[in-house]
Amino acid sequence: MSDTKTLTFAFMEPPFESERTVTFFRLLDAALDRGAGVRVFAYEGAVALAFARQQPHGNAVHHRDSEEEDHPLTKDWIAALQEKARSKGIGFEWINCGLCVDERGVNDVIEGCGRGGPPDLWRYASEAHNTLTIGTR
Amino acid sequence: MSHYLFIQSQDPFTETRTHHQFDLIGQLHDAGHQVAVLLVQNGVTPARRGAKSDLFDDLLLWGVTVRADQFALAQREIDHADLKDQIGVADMDLVIDAMLAGHKVIWH
Repeated sequence: MSDTKTLTFAFMEPPFESERTVTFFRLLDAALDRGAGVRVFAYEGAVALAFARQQPHGNAVHHRDSEEEDHPLTKDWIAALQEKARSKGIGFEWINCGLCVDERGVNDVIEGCGRGGPPDLWRYASEAHNTLTIGTR
Repeated sequence: MSHYLFIQSQDPFTETRTHHQFDLIGQLHDAGHQVAVLLVQNGVTPARRGAKSDLFDDLLLWGVTVRADQFALAQREIDHADLKDQIGVADMDLVIDAMLAGHKVIWH
């Protein structure tokens, strides 16, 4: 049994809207750097962070195609964190609130991200060494 | 006595609720708790030397530990030398270390 401490994060910000999303992902990355296990409960707009059909796009105004624009996608950031956790041998779990997913029609999520509900947040928080809730305001 | 770390993402120039947030931080400090603040995102704007925010400046005057996220500073082209004297620079590690230490970490 590992003695790795697990941190839980609750997040509700949709992708591509706010600077909070970048800060949130930086926190997850820093947690893995510290060797902490990570559990995320995504709810409201944040359930779209793992949406598998996100697509990069170009920028016609700046005459850049999709490759040149290199548009960041949150599903790729999640995948990168999953891979980082695997390489370090620590846990990285992600649960989307199912009701929030259904409301938004974003059921098609990347591998490794699950579906759950508020009881999972309760379980995550109860079992975690510490929990941070990031509100939209 | 408890340890608190506030992640301050809102700035006092556009968010009136920061009035209450800074009040809370000051009250916890007054009550004898160990209170620290990490400024992130637009929360770094009152850290700039010359920025006038009485409630924020009071926290510095009272000795509350205040750090500014170096990433947020760089995005806004705020150099370390531009910061008020009492403010240091930090990264997200500060938050993770506080969480791992069992401190109460609160997002503003």
